[in-house]
Order: sequence, then C-alpha cells, then structure tokens
Amino acid sequence: MRKAMLFVMIAALAGSASAQLPGLRKRGPAPPAQPVLVGIDALRADFIGRSGADTVYFGSDSAVLGVPAKATLAAQAQWLLQHPEVLVRIEGHADPSDTRDHALAVGARRAVEVRDYLVLLGVPAVQLSATSWGKERPGAGRAVTVLVR
Amino acid sequence: MNKVRGFILAASAALYAAAPAQAQQSAAPTVSVVAVPPFATPDSGPTANQSLGLGWQATQMIVSDLRSTAELMPLPPKQKDFYSYPEVTAPTFSKWRAAGAKTLITGFVQSRPDGRLTFGCYVYDVDKGRELARKGFVVAGNDWRRAAHKCSGVAYTAVTGAAGVFDTRIAYVAESGSGDGRTRRIAIMDSDGFDHRYLTPADSIVLTPRLSPKAVRVAYVSFASGQPAIQVLDVDTGAKRPLLPTGGVSFAPRFSPDGERIVFSMMTGANADIYVVGTGGGLPQRLTTAPGIDTDPSFSPDGTKIVFESDRSGSPQLYVMNADGSSQRRLTFGGGWYAAPDWSPDGQWIAFTRRGAGARRIGIIAADGSGERVLTTGPGDEGPNWAASSREIVFQRTDATRRNQIYRIAIDGSEPRKLEIPQDGTDPDWSGVID
Repeated sequence: MRKAMLFVMIAALAGSASAQLPGLRKRGPAPPAQPVLVGIDALRADFIGRSGADTVYFGSDSAVLGVPAKATLAAQAQWLLQHPEVLVRIEGHADPSDTRDHALAVGARRAVEVRDYLVLLGVPAVQLSATSWGKERPGAGRAVTVLVR
Repeated sequence: MNKVRGFILAASAALYAAAPAQAQQSAAPTVSVVAVPPFATPDSGPTANQSLGLGWQATQMIVSDLRSTAELMPLPPKQKDFYSYPEVTAPTFSKWRAAGAKTLITGFVQSRPDGRLTFGCYVYDVDKGRELARKGFVVAGNDWRRAAHKCSGVAYTAVTGAAGVFDTRIAYVAESGSGDGRTRRIAIMDSDGFDHRYLTPADSIVLTPRLSPKAVRVAYVSFASGQPAIQVLDVDTGAKRPLLPTGGVSFAPRFSPDGERIVFSMMTGANADIYVVGTGGGLPQRLTTAPGIDTDPSFSPDGTKIVFESDRSGSPQLYVMNADGSSQRRLTFGGGWYAAPDWSPDGQWIAFTRRGAGARRIGIIAADGSGERVLTTGPGDEGPNWAASSREIVFQRTDATRRNQIYRIAIDGSEPRKLEIPQDGTDPDWSGVID
C-alpha cells in the first residue's frame, strides 16, 4: 500500500518535471517563478492582488453592504481610478434557497448596490455595468466585479 | 334493432329505479370506474382490419390517459369485448353494470377516401343508461393519438365537469451536466411525454419557459445577451425575437389568457417592477411603482386581475391588482415567504411556492385569500403551474443531490408523481387545451 503510494508520488513528480522541460529549454536555466500573464488576465490578477478580492458577500436575502464589503470595494475603486481604460461588469448572485425569479431581482439589486457604491467612491459610471445571475451559478449570495476590457 | 334498444332502456330504467340510494352516492366526489371496450369500425374488408387495429391502439391510449387522472379509473381493456358498429350508439349497459362500471366509452374509427381518419367518441352514464357526451374528430392518418387524447378529454369533462389535460403540452428547461458546465435548453412535449423536442440550442442559460394558452408561442428568459432578457419564440417555426427592443434585465414573463399580451418584471436600478406589453411588441406599460421587488405576475383567467409577488411589506408576499395596476391589495399574511404565484384556469385558486423553516413547498390559496393549503413536503420544491383542469399542478423538485426533476400533483392531496423526461428538468409550464 505504502509502496504503491510512493510510486504514485514519484510518477507525479516525474510528470511535473517533464512538463516543465520545454519551458526550461526556451527560457534558459532560470524558470520564471510565476506564469507570465498578458492582457486582460494580467489586469485581472493585478486587480485581485491589489483589491484583496473581486467578490463581496451579502447577508441572507440582503443587498446591504457590510464593513468588509465596503473595505474591499474601496480598494477596488482605487484600482479602477488608476485604470480608467478598464471596463468592469458587476455580476450579482442570489442565494440558492431563493425562488427563481426573486433570485434574479436580488442578484440585480446586489450588483446595482455595488455599482452605486463604486460610483460614490468616484469611479466614473461609464466604466461600470451591472447584471444578475440570479441563483443560476452555485455559491453563496455575492457580487463579483469582473473585468471585461 | 330498435326493439332491442327499447328493451335495454326499459331494463336499465328498472334497475335505476331499484337502486336510487346507490345513484345518489355516485354524486359524491369518488373515483368513477370507466369501461373502455375496443373501438369498432363501419369499414369492411382489409380496411376494416386496419381501422380495428388503430381503434385498439386508441382504446389503449384512452385507458392510459384516464389512468393518469385522480377521478377516473378505467377497467383494463379486453379485445374480446368487441362490439358491432351499430352498438357504438346502442351499448349493452347491463353488461357494463355487471362489470362494475359507472361510465362507458364507446367509439369507432372510419377510414376516409382522402386517407384521413374519422373518430367518433361516445360517453355514457351506465347506471342511467344515458348518453353524457359525444364528439367526432377528423385527424391525419397517422395521428390516432391526437384523436384518442381528445376522446379522453370528452370523457373526463363529461364525468368531472373540468377540462381534460390530455391534449395539452408541457414546456420545461432540460438540463444536462452539473455545476457551471451544465447546459440548459427549452424543451416541449405532449403532456403524455410524446413528441419531445428541443426549442433552443445549448449555448446559453435559459429559464422559465411560459406557453401561450394554446402552446403556439413560448416566452422565456435567455442570458445570451450577457444579462437576463425575455425572448418570444414561435413553437412551430422556431423563430425568436427579444420581447423588448432595449437592453436591461427583464424576466418572469407570462401570457394573458387571450395570448395577446405578456406581463413581466423589469429592473430599474435596484427596483423590480411589473410591466405589460403586447405579444408582438410595443411600448411597455408600467403597472407597479413600489420600491423593492415586484415580480412573478400571473393573470386571472378572465384577464381582469393580476396576482404577483412583492416584498413591499418586508418579506415577499402575494398581492392582487386590477390588470391596469389599480387597487393593489395584499392576499397572504402567513409567516415565511410566498413566491411565484400562478392563477388557476377556473379562477378559484392561486398556487405558490412557500419558503420557510429551511424548505420550499408548493401550496394553494383561494383567490379571495382563504383556505390556504400546503400540498408538498419540500424541501426543494418550487415553480408551480396549473394544468388546464385546475385540478393538478406541475412543479420542480430539487433533491438532496441537487438534481432537478419535474413532478405533477393533484390538489386532492395525493402523492406527487414524477414526469418521465429524457434528462433532468426545471421550470415546467403546462399549456391550455390545444384546440
């Protein structure tokens, strides 16, 4: 049993090492510590890194922003003000226990709440749009700031 | 012939007179036993064999239709119970009385020179030896199922007084896969599960298909544009178009009873209000202005009122207003949430989803706000929609493994039954009678 496990681990290590080989050949002896991101992916990583999170959470059936949510949105606003060329779509999600159509409205309400708070913090409204996923994506009640461009 | 008929009538009259108490009992809402012997034919030669074959298939279909109801119990059909064509309109009542039947269905299949078929369908009260209803249908040569469903409807209405649901359609959202990778398509089928087909491709999320009264069109919500917006689709051609020319979040569509208008919800900022617009387009008219979420509107069958869900009082409850938005008043006052109302086709009931104590259940309440009853145990039931009979409801049930299935339940309190569909399903909607 233990032997079999060891074998699996070795196989996994060997697998990951060989997967890096082409990269090693191209980029010389020092492999990059992090994958190089370009375009929207790099912006998204930077946005999440500097804002702390792209997602804020809500209490059950509520669209009221709590203190942690407001802190996250303040950081998001900072970043958005420094990147006026970036457009974002705020996607609101309702709780899975909600009913189908009420959930669509709750998701939209949460997204609008986040958008309005970002506008309050000085982010130009043209940079922001809001939409709802209702309860169609699994997970807790939340609003996600998605960079689109 | 006439002599024989007279004798039977006399005999049945005598029996009826001898058992008045029994006849009175049959007026109570109990299950009525129905005899459905195989259909006869006036055709002769090889055509007769063909017609008798179709008649036998139709007979079995009628039995299967009636077995699906709570009110009628068909006796198992037997091919040896054949009768001659003249006996279609002059049945031997004593035989069926002896078999314990209260209702008798006879009929015939006749081939026409143009290749189509004529179906005749007759319904009798066995105790009284009296005809209750008769109807003839002409259908395409391969469409005996349709004729059988219509005959089932004639019998069901003759016995119960309610519209039959046999010649109706059900639309729903067919699901495959799970989680974010799950695909969803609008599907439609006959209420017995036949003629199942998909109306939309699997390339975007679709929700809440709502059929026009005769299942000619379906209004639904699509995320194809990046946000939820109502589309209207022609069931036969598949042609679709957005209900509203402008963008914005719109959802919860439902047709008016005449199919000419669609009532729905639209977001303005954080506020969801109810609007109505012509099915063919035009300028939407706003019906509610309360801050908060007003959604899930459903017309009364006479088109004069609309029941809807609103959280204006704090938590979602049901409200009723006139079709022009005037006289809004609260209908429900119970604990928990009331959501997703649907007004029954006979006008008596409003079905809803009730949320509370960690569960969603299906319930009904009289249109005047009295007599609330919870019909299902939950915990993951939602989205009730009425059958044309106003005696059954179709709804969605999410099980413990988060899989979605569609169930139908009679409002008399019997157990819900699962609908047989090819995949998982959500958001069922039941049409009115097609013709």
